[in-house]
Amino acid sequence: MEKLKKLFSPFSVVPLAGWLLGGFSAVLMEYYLGDLISYYLYLPKIPVLFGTLIMLKKPLLIPSALAYDLIVYIVPIFLVARLTAPLTNGLAALLERMPLWLATLIHLAAFYGVLSTWAGISDYRVLVVKLTMISVILTLSLNVINGYQGEFSCSHPGFMALGAYASSILTLLLFANDKMFGAPLLNPALGPYLFPLVLVFGGAVAALGSLIVAIPSFRTRGDYLAIISLAFLFIVKSAIENLEIFGGPRGMSSQPNYATLPVVFSWMALCIWVVHNFTTSVLGKALNAVRDNEPAANSMTVNTRKTKMTAFMFGAFWAGVAGGLFAHVLRYVNPGTFGLNKLAEILAMVYFGGLNSIYGSIVGALSISVLSEALRPLELFKWIIIPLILILVMIYRPHGLISFTELNVKGLIRPRNKARQEGGE
Amino acid sequence: MAPLLNVAHMTHFFGGLRAVSDFNLTIEPGEIKGLIGPNGAGKTTVFNLITGVYTPTEGTVELEGKNIKGLETHVIAGMGLGRTFQNLALWRHMNVLDHIRLAHYSQLTYGLFGAFFGTPKCRREEEQVVDNSFKLLKLFDIEQFAMHNIGNLPYGAQRRVEMARAMATDPKVLFLDEPTAGMTPDELIRMIAIIRQVHRDFGVAIFMIEHRMKFVMELCESIQTLVFGEVIAEGPPEEIQNNPEVIEAYLGKEDLH
Amino acid sequence: MDIILQNIINALQWGSFYAVVSIGYSMVYGVLMLFNFAHGDIFMVGTYIGFGIATLMLALFSAIMPGWMIFILVILVTMFLASFVGVFVEVVGYRPLRGAPRASAAITGLMIGIIFETGNLIILGAQRFSFPALIKSQSYNLGGIYVTNVKVLIIAASLIMMLSLHLFIKKTKWGMAMRAMSYDFLAVPLMGVSINVIAPLTFAIGAGLASVAGILYGQAYPVLDPYMGIQLGWKAFVAAILGGRGSIMGAALAGYLLGFIEMFVPLVFPSTFRDLIAYSIILVILTFRPRGFFGMEHSTQLRL
Repeated sequence: MEKLKKLFSPFSVVPLAGWLLGGFSAVLMEYYLGDLISYYLYLPKIPVLFGTLIMLKKPLLIPSALAYDLIVYIVPIFLVARLTAPLTNGLAALLERMPLWLATLIHLAAFYGVLSTWAGISDYRVLVVKLTMISVILTLSLNVINGYQGEFSCSHPGFMALGAYASSILTLLLFANDKMFGAPLLNPALGPYLFPLVLVFGGAVAALGSLIVAIPSFRTRGDYLAIISLAFLFIVKSAIENLEIFGGPRGMSSQPNYATLPVVFSWMALCIWVVHNFTTSVLGKALNAVRDNEPAANSMTVNTRKTKMTAFMFGAFWAGVAGGLFAHVLRYVNPGTFGLNKLAEILAMVYFGGLNSIYGSIVGALSISVLSEALRPLELFKWIIIPLILILVMIYRPHGLISFTELNVKGLIRPRNKARQEGGE
Repeated sequence: MAPLLNVAHMTHFFGGLRAVSDFNLTIEPGEIKGLIGPNGAGKTTVFNLITGVYTPTEGTVELEGKNIKGLETHVIAGMGLGRTFQNLALWRHMNVLDHIRLAHYSQLTYGLFGAFFGTPKCRREEEQVVDNSFKLLKLFDIEQFAMHNIGNLPYGAQRRVEMARAMATDPKVLFLDEPTAGMTPDELIRMIAIIRQVHRDFGVAIFMIEHRMKFVMELCESIQTLVFGEVIAEGPPEEIQNNPEVIEAYLGKEDLH
Repeated sequence: MDIILQNIINALQWGSFYAVVSIGYSMVYGVLMLFNFAHGDIFMVGTYIGFGIATLMLALFSAIMPGWMIFILVILVTMFLASFVGVFVEVVGYRPLRGAPRASAAITGLMIGIIFETGNLIILGAQRFSFPALIKSQSYNLGGIYVTNVKVLIIAASLIMMLSLHLFIKKTKWGMAMRAMSYDFLAVPLMGVSINVIAPLTFAIGAGLASVAGILYGQAYPVLDPYMGIQLGWKAFVAAILGGRGSIMGAALAGYLLGFIEMFVPLVFPSTFRDLIAYSIILVILTFRPRGFFGMEHSTQLRL
């Protein structure tokens, strides 16, 4: 451990901007030289997911894939990040003097640049990135209910389904010419611009649906509420299966392709921002108080009913938005998607990443999504490995990897070269 | 003018069991009153009835002449009735500053929209809350723990956090449920000083349940003695101390230990 | 009328599975105050063990023993083996998490369940097995109602199991300890009863019962598949909660109630409405009676 720290100590002066620059140079290199490098390494094509798929499928190519990762990602990222550190620290200092929102936006834009260049290599990457970002929204929104508010809600796939169906119906009805609803009611060219409203509508439907779970939560908590929410999930799923006008068990398809990478990315960023604002405000801290000691919260003037209702509706709203994005990314939904498997997946992301923490939710969603993509070639064994990892995490870190932390944007983007001197504050 | 807090003929039944019968209490602004009695006498029940955790079966409860009987706890608390708990009701995963911040809940006006999008109004109010919280933390001498998780504080400091939290709700009457339970003699002396200070600086009226006679004698102007849900004696500390009934029911029992 | 009577018999049979499996949930819940999300899959593993033992026994003893003897032998051996599955789940998934947030233990349970399902698929492959008939099915016509001896056996065996469990819990030292545990989790270890004995015992009994339910299930619906535990397990779990925390009688009753709902809904509505209506009824019951049928007045605060 000590040795590892020593190894990384030269990189402690690299600010976030530096890592972004390093990442950008790596993805640029892959974009222009990726084919060439893979050709010389005897790889059939650019490895889509850091070579994990190829390593598991053809063990003989493991050295090549590792070499590829080293040449294309690790060396450029670390090299560029370290070499440009003086430059990027200056940049970070400049950004630090700007308003926080502007600095954050610039970082986000840079990050989006890296991400879209990386994903631009193949459609598969685009899909993985989109689904991962949707998972981040889902995980965060469930974390609000299960982590911040401390319930054990099992209805999240149900909220997601409500959002997915509500928004799909709206886009199909308004902007698409399909066999279910016939000709579009509005000019399809308007679609991409009105898509945010459609998603908000989906979220609102989910939030309304969540009242069925939220209202019983005034009287009961914990296990019984878990069952109520589980029952809600099954009710939603089975209701949709029985609604023949919306395709019944076969589902709905051919949603317009509105959920592009920038759209999904912006919604994820918006979600993180809003969740952060909410959970750090006093109104959001009320969720924690209700979780940790409800009578005390009540005696400290907290309206616990309103707080519980807010948590559920807020969580459900974002789950609905995530559902809407999901439906428009896959351009197909069916009720079977929103069952117990989805529930297990979202729960796993929340509890793996960490309760009551935005970092945790991002880490959880990212690791579980990427892991389950990367281990795909293992087929069945994937479903032994992922559960085992989760069990180990639960045993050694019962609250998840990164729990009970607050997102500190200022700390993330600050310049690192003067960190030692100012460390005392 | 109506007294600050007026409780008249308050009676409560749990099922068929009469827990509190015909309890009367008036508190004027700036008064310190005490409630003593042996274990199980119903002292905490009296607190819970006035603060709205339970609704009294009979009787009236008025704060500044307004009826508060039957209102929800958080409404009553927001109207100016702060309290602490016998067994520290703190929020285990929150830091000290957040405890104090949260107690400002009813004083905020920015609403959910403001909280979601961090509107200027929201930021302004939140800053005020933080400023005010730090003032309270300083007053209770727990400023150095502001960012610590509540669980990492020594017991006496936790008690002080609870007091500070109750004061953050901006109460007119402060209910203290055994503020010295489990304290060492040093902490006890400190607590007396703090209660005096709170009383002086905020001019808040105080109504406390306490077991330690010395503490009550030291602070309270008037004491009620509750036995089996009934007030058997009421008066200034010296009087209560010498009341034979009280000695039998309460002090006498204490001596046996 | 006949249809209703016929459905009552079917509902009793179907409810028996729910009742017996949900008791397993309810017992763990009563003792540890934890969800055992792996129980549905314990039921599945138990059924497969039963299938293995039944095949083996039939091959070895069918010439020398009467059918009922083999049946009882299969039940006993399967119960014995399956109880170790329960102990395994307790030791691996629940013991390390004692004192941790309850939700975390729920996640480990869920994950162990997934491992069981996948492990089954890896070891046995995708082929479907068919549970051998241990009892020769005979059908009787009682005034227009068809009753098979298998149905009667299932209902009777379930009742006998539940009754003996009831006696075990009421009369024996271990049962007493379990009941005490469900009242006060912390005090019982002070009385000299180790939670490390009671908890595995509870899991073992639950698993044993579930495996018998599996054998009976195999007699009625012989096709086995690795995911058979999911649907039945989750419904039984819901029944356990509906019955009230830790209440065995409540769990059994709620199991039968669920069986009745599921059998009678198709009489009135299309059969695809079965889940919708069953869960709606549960939702309504729990909304207005949050503690279930026989739930104790416990703190419902979730420990996080």
